[in-house]
Amino acid sequence: MAARSSAAMQPAERELVITRVFDAPRELVWKAWTEPERMARWWGPRGFNTPVCELDVRPGGAIRIVMRGPDGAEHPMTGVFREIVKPERLVFFSAALDEEGKPLFEGTNTVTFSEQGGKTTLTMVARVIKSTPKAARNLDGMEIGWTQSLERLTEYLARA
Amino acid sequence: MAADLSNTFAALADPTRRAILARLALGETTVTELAEPFAMSGPAISKHLKVLERAGLIARGREAQWRPCRLKAGPLKDAAGWLEQYRRFWEESFDRLDEYLRELQSKEKPQPKEKKNGRKK
Repeated sequence: MAARSSAAMQPAERELVITRVFDAPRELVWKAWTEPERMARWWGPRGFNTPVCELDVRPGGAIRIVMRGPDGAEHPMTGVFREIVKPERLVFFSAALDEEGKPLFEGTNTVTFSEQGGKTTLTMVARVIKSTPKAARNLDGMEIGWTQSLERLTEYLARA
Repeated sequence: MAADLSNTFAALADPTRRAILARLALGETTVTELAEPFAMSGPAISKHLKVLERAGLIARGREAQWRPCRLKAGPLKDAAGWLEQYRRFWEESFDRLDEYLRELQSKEKPQPKEKKNGRKK
């Protein structure tokens, strides 16, 4: 049924690790990540669409994605592929831009794909290089939640 | 200019410091009171408090002996909010990827129900 997923924050390293199992062969998952028309089908939160999706899949190749939110606001992103090891590993640098084209946050994303019994385990490690508080408000229409040990604390803060 | 979140993240990396923040979320208190549940010396707690203070996560009163500690929410909200947003971005994208992959497979080749493959690791 639903794909298993787990996420962990490692604040010290400013790393986000997400693991997900997809009920699909690795080759197909790889295609979904490396063919622009396929990536445009799933990129971004629910309710968003992706009018621009350009991927130059080779080391040093550019990524250009524009995401459009349910409110019509556009969220551009640029990036560069660092490493491509088909079909197991993808490393890319990415930067989300504000309305003036200035980076809100920049990070390196490492995505690994492994296949067992026709299912693909995807692990994504996003390492933040630079971020601004404004980035937190970047994705409009997305509910703000809190995680892990900060949960109770922040509930209090939300009320305060 | 936007503040760098590095200090916030570094300060939050330590479980004792997160516990201190959780305690302070209940209200202002003294160093002595803070130290109690941690089985830690006053100076050890003071070290943690300095890190939290430098990160702008807490403020401390001036009174020499008493120096009450108080939580400052701003940087914490920025840090937790940002990471949480980013996590959600990927989680939701992956939900959609999951649906897309299912859709593709039901179109391209009607697959037999998953065959049990013993565990291989």
